[in-house]
Amino acid sequence: MTSKIVVNNIEADAGVSTVTFSSKVSATEFIGPVVGNVTGDATGLSGSPTLSGITSISTTNLTVNGNAYPATGPLSNRNLIINGAMQVAQRGTSFAVTTSETYTIDRFQTGHGGSFNLNSTITQSSTAPAGFTSSLKVDVTSTSTPTATQNGLVQHKVEAQNLQHLQYGTSGAQTCTLTFWVRSNKTGTYCLQILQQDASQYQLHEYSISSADTWEQKTITIVGNTATAINNDNGKGFDIRWHLACGSDDHVAASSTWTGSSEGFFATSNQVNLFDSTSNEWYLAGVQLEVGSVATPFEHRSYGDELARCQRYYLHIHKAGTTGYGDGASQTARSLTTITFPVQMRNDPTFSDANGSFSRYRVSSTIGESATGLTAHYLSYTTTDSGSNYWQLTGGYFSYNAEL
Amino acid sequence: MNTYTYKKAPLTESGNSQDWVFRIEDRCVIPFSEGNPDYQEYLAWLEEGNEPLPADDPS
Repeated sequence: MTSKIVVNNIEADAGVSTVTFSSKVSATEFIGPVVGNVTGDATGLSGSPTLSGITSISTTNLTVNGNAYPATGPLSNRNLIINGAMQVAQRGTSFAVTTSETYTIDRFQTGHGGSFNLNSTITQSSTAPAGFTSSLKVDVTSTSTPTATQNGLVQHKVEAQNLQHLQYGTSGAQTCTLTFWVRSNKTGTYCLQILQQDASQYQLHEYSISSADTWEQKTITIVGNTATAINNDNGKGFDIRWHLACGSDDHVAASSTWTGSSEGFFATSNQVNLFDSTSNEWYLAGVQLEVGSVATPFEHRSYGDELARCQRYYLHIHKAGTTGYGDGASQTARSLTTITFPVQMRNDPTFSDANGSFSRYRVSSTIGESATGLTAHYLSYTTTDSGSNYWQLTGGYFSYNAEL
Repeated sequence: MNTYTYKKAPLTESGNSQDWVFRIEDRCVIPFSEGNPDYQEYLAWLEEGNEPLPADDPS
């Protein structure tokens, strides 16, 4: 039955505060304020509805066009990981890894408990999830089985002063979200350990690789540590560790809160051993750590931006075929050369001429004096040959290492 | 675990010592800087009773 009532005003009866419509209300236009709480999902909106005059939206989970927005923190500069897209590889693109900590793609390093032999080649691979061009690939070359305290892992260290906005050590300690893409032919349970260096405490999370040879994105929530601060310095703040194998002595329970009193490598007993077959490989890409409990889209940065960030920790200057000349002609009239770094390094770096071709020099900021010529800002050196006035580097490169 | 050996930096013309040490195997100059992990590794190496090789003659 269809009926129609034409009125120009409906108002509550005396003594009644609310007018109730027991079923749906349909209108071509709603004019006037909506006061009080509005609940339920607004679904099926069509016709390009517009909300105007709204001065703030408070929500813990805002998604627009499929993209989640941060629940806290900024829209840009969210990613606390440097080179999370695996773009920058100053040291090279292929690394044979055995028992020693090895820096591979910039900012990513292997970890070895008990001198565990990773027996693998790590490369910057072009196999990557959609939207990325590179990944870090661990390709097992010989089998290994971890015993006792042996561990094998890939790790990324975050400088402490870059984490101060997490407010650790206060009641306002912020929750963070770690996301990354991972892929392997070896399915099963893997462990992600995050160490807070200044507290010597860690969280240990498990994640699963469910489908062989398929990129999967993992999201891990890291609650803040209200008890212990991260020192505001250039030391190690976080050490994020992707475990690939773990001996039984280092098996502990997973923990989503800060626990322990050790900087050691730990994983659960469910951790697979990636190194049990030479057919195994493991990929990591798109690593992002951000403040807040929401995983937002990966923050892609330009290659130049990412390179500059990496150069704070490692700098690679090609000098192939270079011979430098000074103006001195004797031991007391040496030349002085200074190389100023493009960015201030984290710390006074370790300097290497890599292939050993750099000769006739001495690191010194002034001729004949002992003041250091190797700082976070520059390297300076003098010629050393008596009766000669040049230094030379006939090939290779200079490297400066200020990694954490 | 790498096993390194070290060599002292040469004295300056004035006979003063310099604040870095040379790591022989990978030809690294390591500054005496507390925040440098390579320097910390060198200090641990000294703690084990090791001694760096004497410096080369700078001339």
